[in-house]
Amino acid sequence: MSRGCLAALFALAAATASAGELRPFTGDSLPAIQKQFAGRPFILTLWSLTCHHCVKELQTLGRLARADRGLPLVIVSTDGPAEAREIRAALKRFGLERFDTWVFADAVPDRLRFGIDPAWRGELPRSYLFDAAHRRTVHSGLMDEAQLRAWLKRQRFG
Amino acid sequence: MRWRNGWLCVSMALLPAMAMAQTHAEHQARAAEKPALAVGAALDGEGRLWLARVENRLLVVSHSTDGGRSFSPPVAVTPQPEAVTADAENRPKIAVGADGIVHVTWTQNLGKPMTGHIRYARSTDGGRSFSLPVILNDDRQVISHRFDALAVDDQRKSLWDGRGRVAVAWLDARGRSGRTANKSPQTDVGVYAALSQDGGARFAPNHRVADHSCQCCRTALTWTAAGPIAFWRHVFGRNIRDFAIADLNGGPVLRVTDDEWEIDGCPHHGGGIAVDGRGNLHIVWFTNGEKRKGIFHRRIAQTDFSKSASRLDMSAPLPLGDPARQAGHPAVVAQGDRVLLAWREFDGRRFSAWAMLSHDAGATWAPPRKLAEAAQQADYALPLVDAQQALVVWNTAAEGLRVLPVAEGRP
Repeated sequence: MSRGCLAALFALAAATASAGELRPFTGDSLPAIQKQFAGRPFILTLWSLTCHHCVKELQTLGRLARADRGLPLVIVSTDGPAEAREIRAALKRFGLERFDTWVFADAVPDRLRFGIDPAWRGELPRSYLFDAAHRRTVHSGLMDEAQLRAWLKRQRFG
Repeated sequence: MRWRNGWLCVSMALLPAMAMAQTHAEHQARAAEKPALAVGAALDGEGRLWLARVENRLLVVSHSTDGGRSFSPPVAVTPQPEAVTADAENRPKIAVGADGIVHVTWTQNLGKPMTGHIRYARSTDGGRSFSLPVILNDDRQVISHRFDALAVDDQRKSLWDGRGRVAVAWLDARGRSGRTANKSPQTDVGVYAALSQDGGARFAPNHRVADHSCQCCRTALTWTAAGPIAFWRHVFGRNIRDFAIADLNGGPVLRVTDDEWEIDGCPHHGGGIAVDGRGNLHIVWFTNGEKRKGIFHRRIAQTDFSKSASRLDMSAPLPLGDPARQAGHPAVVAQGDRVLLAWREFDGRRFSAWAMLSHDAGATWAPPRKLAEAAQQADYALPLVDAQQALVVWNTAAEGLRVLPVAEGRP
């Protein structure tokens, strides 16, 4: 296969991956996400199938997503790739499958957690609100929907 | 020729990309099946080390008579493979009564996230064979009955009457109803328990110990002279996730930490309890509260824990480990005046196992010691103590199961 052909293959694979595919989250993923949102605000939400409160968090985000087609949202599951099927089902249930969705993919998930934030002790849900300059505000536990809307409004309209 | 090459290129590019979207995660799944690293360990009255672990979806038990250098051939507790949860806050539990009966409990996942049954089996022939596993939760809905804790009566008197008492406690969502499901999340999970008076042959009907517990932190149990006492992360007020104890024989819920950790979320990080020879309780726990953050030990002086009027005499929380290295998942065991604490740290790359020993019922402590490091994933560090030995059992993905002696040096 020619080099051009290989490049086309990778380009297509990448394009397909960004449209609702569950991507493996590794040590390089957060910088890649920040690059993708360069100069733009976004919400990074971490959740797990084993987290009682995360169902509510996904519900809230799903409501927000229905009202806001351009919601800058990145969703990361801290489960493993082995749970891909359940993760996708949960995201679909709340209408979140069209967003950037990731799953922790490291034999030592703690390394990924530490890489995102050494102060994060694993409690879920965990959210990081990145402003346009990518200064981040951290929140443990459920996010308040009204506060989230207000934050988004501020980011967009100053 | 160019055209054909181009067509070939497009079709080759498209098809794998489409297939990739479907199966990428599944490939990952096969490559990274979650290891069942979390094990249960106990010492019996003769100093033998007992181990319960999951191998190929079977729960197996073995024991060591040489301090963990070698183990007996594993004996299957589960007659068929089943989804024994053995990861992080979930692990099989094993305990040996003064009568020599080996008791095992675990949580069986029911195929949906956050569902489970509490399973129990025992061996009356020194671990050579096990009874058919039973389900202890008498509510059989496919909901959460998880985070089992096990304790046996190791008081001498049970030898005299030939009966060992057994207690199992767990978190149970049976109180959840359509009415509560969409309201505040803290209203629908509680602590339930099952007690046996005959060495685990039969258990009394389940009874509710407390409402409003946190939903996904491990629980703990210890057997005092007055009976079993449970320890768990509770929900106080609207959403304060501090710890509580309760005497399983109908005692009140007593708050034993005041960290004021208010979080509308899951800490996934519980604690442990043990009773020393003087009847004092020792608790260890994690918090990320307003008042303090990290892992701590505290001693609660012996009193009648079955009375709500009991004023608890508690020592100041003693911080353990290095918060910068995420010191976490502490556990405690005690025998006589010997109290052993263990925890795990993580520096961003490697885990390490730590222990700290007291020879005077927790009044003073030898300096904390780092026992080992792990290159890959690692279970929590499990302390074990009796009059002769102080050990930490640590299961690690790269180095295997390690039994680490804790030096006896006095402070």
